[in-house]
Amino acid sequence: MAEASPILSLKSVRKMFGAHAAVDSIDLDIAEGEFFTIVGPSGSGKTTMLRMLAGMDTPTSGDILLRGERINDLPANKRPTCMVFQSLALFPHRTVGQNIEFPLKIRGEVPESRKARALQLMDLLRLPQSYYAKNVLKCSGGERQRVALARALAYDPQILFFDEPLSAIDYKLRKTLEKELKDIHRETKKTFVYITHSLEEAMVMSDRIGVMRAGKLVQVGTPHQIYSAPNTRFVSEFVGDVNVLPVSLDTDGRLHSRLTGARLKPPPVPEGFSEGHLVIRPEFLRFLAKAADADNAVSGRLYNEYVLGSRIQYQVRVGEGVFAVEKLRQQAFTGKLDDDVIIGWDAKDAILVTD
Amino acid sequence: MRLSQGGKSAIPVVLFLIVGFAAPLLAVIWFSFMPPRSFSFGGAPTLENYATIFQGTNYISFLWSLSLAVTAVALLALVCYPVAYGLVRVFGKWAMLLTLLFTIPLFVSENIRLYGWVLFLIKNGVLLGTLKSMFGLQLESILFSLPAIILGMVYVYLPFMLFPMTLGISMVPNETRDAAFDLGASRWQVFKEVELPLSMPGVVIGFLLTFVLAIGAIAEAKVLGGQRVIPITHDIEIAFTYSQNWPLGAALSVLLMLVVGVLVLLALRRFDLDTFLGRR
Amino acid sequence: MANSSKISRRNFMQQSALWAAAFAGAGSVLPGQAFAAREKELNILCWEGYNSAQVLDPFRTSKGATVKAESLTNDPTMINRLRAGETNVWDLINVNNPWARKVMHPEKLIKPLDRGRFEPFFGSMMPEFKAPYKWAMDEAGAELLGMAQRFGPYSYVVNTDKISRAAAEDQGWNLWNDPANAGKYGILESDDWNVFNICLIAGFDPFKVHSDDEVAKFTETAKRVFKGAKVVGDIATMNQSLIAGEIDFHMTGGTYSASPARADGHPEIRGITPKSGPMAGGKGGVAWIEITSTVNNPELSPLAADFLEYVQAPDIAHTVAFAEGTFNPVAQMGNPDCFKLFTAEQLDAIQWDSLAEEMGRCAEYDIVPDYDKLLDIMSAAKREASAG
Repeated sequence: MAEASPILSLKSVRKMFGAHAAVDSIDLDIAEGEFFTIVGPSGSGKTTMLRMLAGMDTPTSGDILLRGERINDLPANKRPTCMVFQSLALFPHRTVGQNIEFPLKIRGEVPESRKARALQLMDLLRLPQSYYAKNVLKCSGGERQRVALARALAYDPQILFFDEPLSAIDYKLRKTLEKELKDIHRETKKTFVYITHSLEEAMVMSDRIGVMRAGKLVQVGTPHQIYSAPNTRFVSEFVGDVNVLPVSLDTDGRLHSRLTGARLKPPPVPEGFSEGHLVIRPEFLRFLAKAADADNAVSGRLYNEYVLGSRIQYQVRVGEGVFAVEKLRQQAFTGKLDDDVIIGWDAKDAILVTD
Repeated sequence: MRLSQGGKSAIPVVLFLIVGFAAPLLAVIWFSFMPPRSFSFGGAPTLENYATIFQGTNYISFLWSLSLAVTAVALLALVCYPVAYGLVRVFGKWAMLLTLLFTIPLFVSENIRLYGWVLFLIKNGVLLGTLKSMFGLQLESILFSLPAIILGMVYVYLPFMLFPMTLGISMVPNETRDAAFDLGASRWQVFKEVELPLSMPGVVIGFLLTFVLAIGAIAEAKVLGGQRVIPITHDIEIAFTYSQNWPLGAALSVLLMLVVGVLVLLALRRFDLDTFLGRR
Repeated sequence: MANSSKISRRNFMQQSALWAAAFAGAGSVLPGQAFAAREKELNILCWEGYNSAQVLDPFRTSKGATVKAESLTNDPTMINRLRAGETNVWDLINVNNPWARKVMHPEKLIKPLDRGRFEPFFGSMMPEFKAPYKWAMDEAGAELLGMAQRFGPYSYVVNTDKISRAAAEDQGWNLWNDPANAGKYGILESDDWNVFNICLIAGFDPFKVHSDDEVAKFTETAKRVFKGAKVVGDIATMNQSLIAGEIDFHMTGGTYSASPARADGHPEIRGITPKSGPMAGGKGGVAWIEITSTVNNPELSPLAADFLEYVQAPDIAHTVAFAEGTFNPVAQMGNPDCFKLFTAEQLDAIQWDSLAEEMGRCAEYDIVPDYDKLLDIMSAAKREASAG
């Protein structure tokens, strides 16, 4: 993905707060025009990383390069980058127009050209022209998002950073705005670096995703790679509900599940694997008429079912363990609660991770 | 018509406000229309007291009070904004201690503190005495002069400007500051475009508070100014004491209230707090 | 307690008068418990000293009484408090000499004393207070209106390190007519006395009705004198400024104001009575004598007379002379039993050495018939002086 010369490079970037490394030796290249998302739970260091990229914090060690130029000590107001904040940080004492024009005013542009540019950006972001003189606090949540983005675009940055701007927005609007943002990315052809704690959100928009945990990037890849080939249990769990079985490799090449006592047929086993977790996504599990209908099968009892829109999730209790099974609504399981069931999966659909 | 339960419960408060607030005020207003040097509410109402004031030289005292208050407020703004800014954004853990230091003098009576300044500023006192004995410098004392009065007012009313300003500055969200900086603004532009306007509610409250207090000041001019300047409050005091002309004193008080009231309303109109907070 | 909740008509009237006074006074302090059983209660309106614990506590203890005293620092305010209806509140009023005889008695604000009980006390006072003492009697000479105690000359005070006593006495009120003295003097904020002083500086008797020419002279003099003042302030400010060297002398002052500084180790601060002046007999100084009278209170406390008797005792008279605040001679010093209680330092603080001589050069405080007019002129002059 990053074959073109990277616009932004991080070389062993580290940020210490006292003895604690908030960001720990990160190496990363972000390509020109890429939509790159950093995903991680709170406290994983993603915000600290973004602040360093935007110039509001300086790394303790390592280098940040913008088109090959070291910019570690370049303050935010001198960097050709711009951030959309979590709180949006709109200027409450200014109108929509004044907010959008702010970077242009700072740059000393004349009012007429400022206004023209502001209206143009409002068009791009589907904000009615009549909002130009509207107080920004009178705008709805979604409108404010657009104003914040328009203001950042008015700065004409080479890279746009996003610090979880959609986290406080309700689900439906968030879904709309995620798509809009991806459209804007296409239209502006700028490099977007986005952080979020929701891998789901990241999947919708990103060209590539980096998953952060405790200051480190644990996996970088396309949404597909992250989804289908998580390299750790942590990454796999980040995607959503997954079934995770602690397993060890037996001498006969089968896996032994400590939880269910079952002996399982593994997916391709990595070199030197002896113990780890078997990850099975709920949609790869299916209800079986008989155990032989799949590579692996376990018996349990149907305990409950949850309707998730287009899908239905079933909770199946197997001994001490709990499995989640998902079916599309059209393919709903016909059994009743408390029925004894057999569930199973094919070896190729499971993922074996060490961590 | 019957009062609701809530209405009945409000009666004590309403009575308290009438007795404690409205009644004395109305009494003063009514008294200002009584014949000069009378002591009862029963006289025939007259405008004589107001005529006396408008024909006399009380305007000098009004002007003194106004200009002292305006000067004090302006100096306080200049002194307090940087300090308040420091307390909120620079001094960190020392801010608490400094705030305490600014608060402690409030527990000592104003007059005692002003007499402390007299001892500090007086000829051969703490300041001039020390300068003389340590460096052989012999300077004119500024005690009993206009600068001493203004110094006293700035000193006494400092907390009343400082704390609203501190509150105002601390209300500026960090991210708006960061955002402005990130959008290319210099430190000065961040201050001018974002921090100052967003801290205006605190600043305006500080202005109003100190202005109203300062225009009612009397002790500074008396103690530190040696009565070289007679503010309107001193005129009112003389009317109520040595002159024993209570109606005149009442009329002066009413005029002072009017002047302050009108100025404050004008200021609030000009600097509408809601506008600053972006509520309209 | 049986009648504590009963509100009599009189009580109601008293309350109303108090409210009226409170509203009009706008901030003046009201004495609490002004009306209840009066046998164990005494309210005194006075110059400071009589309100001190040293004076009041022994009386409180011996009588088991609640005694409240409020001190003010000018006579007109106290008189007007009575005029405004507070005769229902106070039992004793302590003001300077002319008020009882010339104002309060004719206006029925005070009650005469029992001559048989009180006149004998004048016998043991200093010779000039022998009965019938003018200021203690009504104009007809029939009624005894009050008792004398503290007194003193009250003209001006100099720092004798800067101006010798002799020079100050010789130059008299012309000290304020010498342009070279501008900026060297202070003015005590006793505006009633300052009216007298401006008259004296202007060269005429204060205690009479003034001609237009004199009023014009007064106006000019007031402006000049206030313009030349370095500081106007209270007694503490005057003494501090004298000691520190901010000023060399100040007007309205005498033993009453200088004694605290003298007692504090500054004998160079001295009250001065000019050798001569424009008043009858060529007198240039003004002296005050306090007269304490019983208020014409419809429910006068019986303790009022008891208190007047109490302060005649030699030890209490000595305490009154040296009560907190200011120190003053007392008429009871004519009694050897009282006089012997004064130490040499105390006598020096009150300038005992020159007291008789100074009193001899003083006219006695009197009513200024056109005081209101002159005070207004003076207040305006003060204001105009501040306009630069």
